[in-house]
Amino acid sequence: MSNMKLHKKMGLFLVFAGPALFAFISVLLLPLIQGVVFTFTDWNLVSDKFSFIGLQNYQTVFRDREFIAQFLLTIKYVLYSSVLSNLAAFTLAYLLTSGMRGQNLLRGAFFLPNLIGGIVLGYIWKFIFSNVLTQLGKSLGIEVLSTSFLTHPQRAIWAMIIVTVWQYAGYLMMIYIAGFVAIPQETQEAADLDGAHGLSRLLRITIPLMVPSFVICLFISISRGFMTYDLNLTLTNGGPFGSTQLAAMHVYQKAFLAKQYGIGQAEAIVLFIVVALISVTQVMLTKKLEVEA
Amino acid sequence: MLQKRILATLLSLAVLLAMFAFPALAEEQVKLTYYSTSAEVNTMFEEMFVEYNKLFPNVVIELIPTGVGQGQQEQLASLYASGNAPTFMNIDPANALDYKDKLYYFDENNETWLSNLAPGAIEAGRLDGNILGIPFSIQGYGLNYNKRVVESIIPDFDPASINTRDALQAFFEKLDAAGVPPTMIHGANWSVGSHYLGLTYAVQSPETEGGKAFIEGLMRGEIDIAQDPIFQGYMDTFDLLVKYNYNKADPLVGDYNADTQAFAQGKCATFFMGDWSWTVIGAYENRDEEFGFIPIPWSNDPEAYGNSQVVATMPKIMCVDVSQSTPAQQKAALEMLRWMLTEPAGQEYFIKTGFSMPYTNVRDADYNSMTSSIADYMSKGKTINIGAFVYLTGDAWTKTGDLMLKYMVGVIDRTQLAQGINEYWRNVQ
Repeated sequence: MSNMKLHKKMGLFLVFAGPALFAFISVLLLPLIQGVVFTFTDWNLVSDKFSFIGLQNYQTVFRDREFIAQFLLTIKYVLYSSVLSNLAAFTLAYLLTSGMRGQNLLRGAFFLPNLIGGIVLGYIWKFIFSNVLTQLGKSLGIEVLSTSFLTHPQRAIWAMIIVTVWQYAGYLMMIYIAGFVAIPQETQEAADLDGAHGLSRLLRITIPLMVPSFVICLFISISRGFMTYDLNLTLTNGGPFGSTQLAAMHVYQKAFLAKQYGIGQAEAIVLFIVVALISVTQVMLTKKLEVEA
Repeated sequence: MLQKRILATLLSLAVLLAMFAFPALAEEQVKLTYYSTSAEVNTMFEEMFVEYNKLFPNVVIELIPTGVGQGQQEQLASLYASGNAPTFMNIDPANALDYKDKLYYFDENNETWLSNLAPGAIEAGRLDGNILGIPFSIQGYGLNYNKRVVESIIPDFDPASINTRDALQAFFEKLDAAGVPPTMIHGANWSVGSHYLGLTYAVQSPETEGGKAFIEGLMRGEIDIAQDPIFQGYMDTFDLLVKYNYNKADPLVGDYNADTQAFAQGKCATFFMGDWSWTVIGAYENRDEEFGFIPIPWSNDPEAYGNSQVVATMPKIMCVDVSQSTPAQQKAALEMLRWMLTEPAGQEYFIKTGFSMPYTNVRDADYNSMTSSIADYMSKGKTINIGAFVYLTGDAWTKTGDLMLKYMVGVIDRTQLAQGINEYWRNVQ
């Protein structure tokens, strides 16, 4: 009897979770395992033959000064872009839940950039930085704008950050809006009666109650930031002279252009571990700040 | 009612039978796939395959296209890895070398139609001693010049007169004095890293082996590129190009459309680029018609190899897969190649598209002025052999190209550039 029950349960489980589980295993889990195996080989992407070379690829990764420099650059990019996009998103959400006129239209407008894919977005902004802004700079006589943002190593990485913030702010704003709306009206009124207005209400009541939104938004912006490739490819293509090449792009070039698949894959694994560690730490730390209303 | 139902059943049965019967009738049908890395001419191949199917109904060819600027090496790797290797393809010789264990070795005794190739052309496909592929087009590069602009300042300009760096400098000074920006560098790593810096390796010797040996010497650390007179010479000339660069104000923009347009409309006199730019320039409105090529001299010796020549190369070769294709498919693919490359009907597609074919039996055709200029250098034997490029590693053009861009804008000096290039090659595995 209990065996029957178990069978039935298993059957039900497979009906509902089976397809997703199959997809997860075949496109995520198996490639990950296969990828890890390749990091111990000297496969060149083309040959049928390869040999196992132990941890040599990982040693190469940590000796590759270029990879480490690009990793640090990626961390800088992630730091600035996630802080700024969350600030922008929170501010927008705050304004657009305050009952201002046309707020629904504005919500839609700010969310729109997120519906454009990273590739197209990159090309659009490339045009803006290289053609529109330079024309503007030339006709208005503004020295800084007369040359493209994308041809200076320092300014090019900021161009990437600006576009990322522009793209993600609207998406994160939606999550923050949901957070704002979820705060019970009574709590707000009670705070008002107790003398918490304006900024102090925001800092002492609203923000602590919205920690779950922060947890999600920070997680999304940090993990996506580390994975950025499409925008990197279309906006700067790593240029000028490789100065804005983020970690993901380096991995791709090592594996597919230099045909050192094992090294590229080992770099990807290192990237994966670092991102996982940072994300888990972030979620654990911010979760602790959650409070009940 | 019943009759209707019977009729319907019979009809659907007939359709079903027909569906099963057809393949049985056309038993001999062969399906081929063709992978093209000549992204700008996908439609040419599509039309050709439709036509071929009309002539030979039992051969169906499906095109696997690539987009302009799309990762070609990567796509081929994934086709092979997923068991979907194309039956035949056009790829870069360097890629063919990577796949040499999986490709058909052409033999001049079996494929007698190879005798139609222009003398020496087969060498483009002979890699590591075997003929891995067959070339089908000639392309070239050098200092492209706009005839209208140049001749308005120097009425009877002869490109052959530029065979020393001093001559090039005097030429640039004349243009500059007349108020025309003398030249333009496309600020992208593939142009300055692969095409320009690559000359340093190729010009080491008219033979491919000489350039290959030079690259191997760099890899082993036996050669210090800073000590090489050809490298130093080409960099001196590069300084000259940088000094008179039309894009001087913002040299790293690297906008291919903007650059080709500026050159086509005569906003600068010369442009370091190849005749492939015609595929873009030919489509512009309000452009000039007449262009030609000038050599890029690296020294002041008019006799030195490279000073009176431009690059002419057969950039892509046609290969046949043997690792995943059946013997019947291979046979059909070889027959198709014979038709496309040596029959007038097949050649017509290439000629109409503007390809200059390295075949002796190809009909005379009016090409655009850039292609004609390259062909002119070829007929005079005044070409630089860049066969050594096959031995450049996959990421050489990005890594050394980025160094060249840094040098161009003055972030590093020539000593650091040479150091960087040495370092790149010594770390290649």
